[in-house]
Amino acid sequence: MAPPARPLLRAAPMPRERVCVGAIAGAYGVRGEVRLKSFCAESGAIADYGPLETEDGGRRFEVTLTRPASGGLAARLSGVSSKEEADALRGTRLYADRDRLPVLPDDEFYHADLIGLEMRDADGNSLGRVRAVLDHGAGDLLEVEAPGRQGSVLVPFTREIVPTVDLRAGLIIADPPEGLFD
Amino acid sequence: MARSVWKGPFVDAYVLKKAEKAREAGRNDVIKIWSRRSTILPQFVGLTFGVYNGKKHIPVNVSEDMIGQKFGEYAPTRTYYGHAADKKAKRK
Repeated sequence: MAPPARPLLRAAPMPRERVCVGAIAGAYGVRGEVRLKSFCAESGAIADYGPLETEDGGRRFEVTLTRPASGGLAARLSGVSSKEEADALRGTRLYADRDRLPVLPDDEFYHADLIGLEMRDADGNSLGRVRAVLDHGAGDLLEVEAPGRQGSVLVPFTREIVPTVDLRAGLIIADPPEGLFD
Repeated sequence: MARSVWKGPFVDAYVLKKAEKAREAGRNDVIKIWSRRSTILPQFVGLTFGVYNGKKHIPVNVSEDMIGQKFGEYAPTRTYYGHAADKKAKRK
């Protein structure tokens, strides 16, 4: 019997056009500021991607960072003016439109774009799906979850091994070295 | 305390043998090793090692700036995934 599929990193299914960039950790002070946890590579960049919206898209906030706070950033959100309102938002994840992220040069990709892509070899055989992108200091690695295989495979993200990344088609063509998928 | 210079860098003998064999063969296969304690030597540059982290072999493509470090430094034994957000990956 095939092992049960492990859940992907995303907690809930969400449209491809949005990325989770942070979460509200609670109120900061008593004047309606919130403590923000930024998931961005540079934490302060979260304010550049605004307006941010909640997971269900029901509320949108303009974000103004006010100061660094322990465990994150203090910020003022549009429409939040009291400590009670800020406290009520604790645990809310904040999403930005994918279009708000800057355009990257060739050979650079957002993790959010790579995760979920299907990897195929040169003959068109499916090797699995990208589950995560890791970097342990020796270059980026794509963690590929292969169907019917226990555990995942790490594929170095180099031009030699991953010659083609087609974001529109949702495909990665790879030429893995021998022994990688054994 | 630092290791005495006269001893030279420590490398498990089997790692040297495997690397030499791979270099002679001219293929860039993943060289599976379990020796996390071995020092990365200049002759390893350009080779890809699969360094064991206790669970699986992590591919480590050796570059010049890694010389002198240990293989284990590039194959962490715990993985934290975090959020993708705006993080970028560069294809080298």
